[in-house]
Amino acid sequence: MKLVISRLSIAVAGLGSILMFAWPLFISQSSTSETQLAQTVFIVLMPLTLLLILVEFATGDISSKQLALLGVLVALNAVIRLLGAGTAGIETSFFLIILGAYVFGSGFGFILGAGSIFVSALITGGVGPWLPFQMMGAALIGLGAGLIPQANRSWLTKMYLVIYAVIASFVYGALMTLWNWPYLAGTGTQVSYVAGDPLMSNLTRFLQYEIVTGGLLWDTGRAITTSLLILLTGSALIATLKRAATRAGVGRSS
Amino acid sequence: MSATTRAVHLVSAYKTNPISWWLAGLSLAIVASLTSNIYVLLAICVGTLSIIRLCRDDSPWAQSIGFYIKLAAIVITLRVAFRIIFNLGSSTKDAFLLLPSIDLDFGFGNALKLFGPISATAFNFALVDGFRLAAIILAVGMANSLANPRKLLKSTPGALYEIATALSIAINLAPQLIASLNRVRRARSLRGQSKGMKAITGIVIPVLEDTIDQSMGLAASMSARGFGRKGNRSKFQVIGARLLAFIAICFMVSGAALLLFSPEQQVLELTFLVLGLALAVISIKLSSTRGTITRYRKEPWRLGDVIILAASLVLMVLAFGGAFAR
Amino acid sequence: MIQLKDLTFSYLKSDGSKVSETPQINNVNLTINSGEFVLVCGPTGSGKSTFLKTLNGLAPSFTGGVITGELKINGVELLGLEPHEFASVVGYVNQQPENAFVGDTVIDEIVYCAEQLGLPIAQIEKSVQKISELLEISDLLERPLATLSGGQQQRVAIASALVAGQKVLLLDEPTSALDLVGAAEVLRVLRRLCSEEGVTVLLAEHRISRVIAEVDSVLVVHGDGSVTKGPTATQFNDPRFVPPIIELGLKLGWKPLPITTTDAAKKWNETRPEFQAKVLSNATSEVLAVSNLEVSFGSVQALQQTSFSLAGNQITALMGENGSGKTSLCWAIQGSGTRTKGTVTTYKGDTKDLNAADRLEVLTMVPQRAADLLFLATLSAELEESDKYAEVSPGSTAKLFQSLAGRIDTSIHPRDLSAGQQLSLVLAIQLVKQAKIVILDEPTRGLDYSAKYALAKQLNSIRSQDRAVLIATHDIEFVAMIADRVLVLEKGQLVSDSSPLEVLGAGKPFASQLAEISQEVGLISIEQVKL
Repeated sequence: MKLVISRLSIAVAGLGSILMFAWPLFISQSSTSETQLAQTVFIVLMPLTLLLILVEFATGDISSKQLALLGVLVALNAVIRLLGAGTAGIETSFFLIILGAYVFGSGFGFILGAGSIFVSALITGGVGPWLPFQMMGAALIGLGAGLIPQANRSWLTKMYLVIYAVIASFVYGALMTLWNWPYLAGTGTQVSYVAGDPLMSNLTRFLQYEIVTGGLLWDTGRAITTSLLILLTGSALIATLKRAATRAGVGRSS
Repeated sequence: MSATTRAVHLVSAYKTNPISWWLAGLSLAIVASLTSNIYVLLAICVGTLSIIRLCRDDSPWAQSIGFYIKLAAIVITLRVAFRIIFNLGSSTKDAFLLLPSIDLDFGFGNALKLFGPISATAFNFALVDGFRLAAIILAVGMANSLANPRKLLKSTPGALYEIATALSIAINLAPQLIASLNRVRRARSLRGQSKGMKAITGIVIPVLEDTIDQSMGLAASMSARGFGRKGNRSKFQVIGARLLAFIAICFMVSGAALLLFSPEQQVLELTFLVLGLALAVISIKLSSTRGTITRYRKEPWRLGDVIILAASLVLMVLAFGGAFAR
Repeated sequence: MIQLKDLTFSYLKSDGSKVSETPQINNVNLTINSGEFVLVCGPTGSGKSTFLKTLNGLAPSFTGGVITGELKINGVELLGLEPHEFASVVGYVNQQPENAFVGDTVIDEIVYCAEQLGLPIAQIEKSVQKISELLEISDLLERPLATLSGGQQQRVAIASALVAGQKVLLLDEPTSALDLVGAAEVLRVLRRLCSEEGVTVLLAEHRISRVIAEVDSVLVVHGDGSVTKGPTATQFNDPRFVPPIIELGLKLGWKPLPITTTDAAKKWNETRPEFQAKVLSNATSEVLAVSNLEVSFGSVQALQQTSFSLAGNQITALMGENGSGKTSLCWAIQGSGTRTKGTVTTYKGDTKDLNAADRLEVLTMVPQRAADLLFLATLSAELEESDKYAEVSPGSTAKLFQSLAGRIDTSIHPRDLSAGQQLSLVLAIQLVKQAKIVILDEPTRGLDYSAKYALAKQLNSIRSQDRAVLIATHDIEFVAMIADRVLVLEKGQLVSDSSPLEVLGAGKPFASQLAEISQEVGLISIEQVKL
């Protein structure tokens, strides 16, 4: 009963958060005057939604061992994100979110994604209104990675993970660009969203915006680095994490 | 002590609850995002910067303001640049900048006409937009500079106690991790060089194993000191809190949807959002009351906090009132 | 009071089968009284830690495995409960306190357990005051934990374990990372807790020679599953971990066996046993020359200008308190550590200018955190990799490892070895190489006496091959046994360079136990005593 309600809450909140990213694509024309208000409301709603999902995952009893593992992976992620930061397109923290979520499951992955971004923002001073949106994006990627099927062959596992990594890199990039689209391009330029326009024409302009801002290039870089890191370290890291999972008595099944 | 220094002393960083600075920063950000008045925006930019100067202490996060100032400048520039480069060059009525236009065709969608004449209205609009973003960034920057993030983690609601604990573990581990990366890299050279894959795993695996061992030791020490006791809440309370959270989420999401798709229904929209917000806060409160943990040194609410919070509240009411009245 | 009845604990493999036929802890029956100070000891890897952990639920909760039997503390049956349910009764202190801290400041850390147990604030206030006075940390309460010395940190950890009024305290090697001063501080407060507050203390230790006089009784975890407890003098018949003072008594057939230095000294004076002069190996050709070496980290000077040389055919010990610059010196000699000034010359040139491969040909080193060198998934893979790298006949590393740590199933993960076994493994891997210079940083931490003898034997054979050995260590007894020369560092300064007979002699800060007992000039280690 408790679990069912929790799952429902997470699903609705997840959908709501996608809406908060992608609204410029399908906002109705009559809402044009409201966009500024909507943006503001979402700045408040997004962190609250994130908080509520985190509470849903956290109230399922987390043991001290899981917490400690979470702490380790979040710290590791924050540190390697620090090492990779500054170089365009090099994203060094996604692979660990994906691997961690793959071994420990969706709920763990969600918290790991959100936590990694949060802690690295605290360390580097990247806290801003965009932070809850970045956290949500990374958290959703963790959530998804926890659903990747477990393969019993190592190459198959890696293939699944790499495919997911590529998709996730572009989806994350698209979500973040969607978020800054109305802020940076505003309305009324040729690459801005137009309220009430058909989805396809808004999508086209979005793609043009992605290209002229170099977003796609960035996403490609993210996809390549993440896949490479998974291929290079995947087997060893999964083995180590699985050993830790056994020791901590946690894992996908539980 | 003059009146100003006394006032500053009252609200300065180490004397206040971190939550109040965050609420203040958030409400300033909201005011900024709802207004289109350039003077209000400028006032917020200047105001936040002077508050930071007056109230910050010498902690590391208080030094991050430089980052926010740079970011604000970049955002204003970008916003105006977008307007100039991707301008919809239809109107030349009050054009004040006449640039030749260049065509850019991607092979899909409309070909983009870059540059072209720019009207003063459009330029102004972009500038105000840029300043609005800058003001939001500075307002959040203020909160980040004045509120100790560690203190903030300690003040998190009980429902997030576990996650806050995991994050404080991570914050404590991060510098140790950098140290152990360096240590292991050096130690590895004592064993002899392996090539290719082994070279990476030879460093990553010991660091990870070491940190996991360490964290398991920490977990053991936490458990041995009582961490993990469950509250004595009834099943009814547990399910009630979850149900309330679900209703809150539904209200919030439908409020957001209404705002985007049928803005005519202002009353319904507002009711949904306010109800959702209120229920969300109540459900988090409800999930937090487990009554099993004592907080020995709770961050108290002091006079300085009351002043900050009252000021923020007034600003928020004014801004939202204005926005919905439109 | 703690009562164990038929207590049995076995580790399980991931498939659910038992790791070995005999359980790690087998059918233990014993009683520990209130206020008793018990030393828990046993050979390397025998399961001292595991035994302690069964007493507060950490085993099996954090180790895996199954536990059966009865475990009563103050008359309440607690077997099978989770660790947090032991928290109000049993306090637990880890080997490295800095890794177990959850708070930022001393006060945060101390109140943690009381907070978790939900004690009322007024009560917490009272007990913080009491416990911090008892542990002599009242003036440290607001300090950040990171700024404390090792001994202070360990006392904070003890305070945190006892803040909720726990009457049982388990300590897993609390002094192994401390220097003499820090270890003495901790021992003193433990003694006081037992006698004044009636706290039952179980202390697992390797460096038992300095502890043995303080405790009321000794509990031995033998490693074959059996656990025995009794008065100190009756518990040492296993040659693998008999401390020097008992070994001396046994060797000379003293009855009753003296346990304190005072008793032993009295006995020595009565009997005046004969001893032979210590044979110190003479230096041959110079292998390594350190000249004008300086190390600074920022504004902190870790090592002031130092010059000395190491000769083949000699084992040199490097001693000094924590933070005196031993480790910095080792790494600076190795070549990859920070060096502000100076040179370290070997037959191939300055170690700093050598490439990694040449450096390894000249010099082999075991760092303080030995486990950093392990990265493969099984013990056998590590041993094979080592043979291959060192170009020695297959099985050489395994043989050396076995002589240090005994026979161990090679299919297990190296991280599942005990700390002492991991160190033994790294020692084996590094010592099987034929480098001309051997540097060991704290190579005896966590080793039992039999492993130390095996290590000494290996080092002796290295010495006889005209190679140079440098050992940075706190272990006085080990230095007494093996060193030909002792360098002493004090706050980054080389303050003495002389024979061990001088440095470890009676009345000196690093006096060996035998020197203290006998007060004889030229006698520092037990091997010298004639039957």
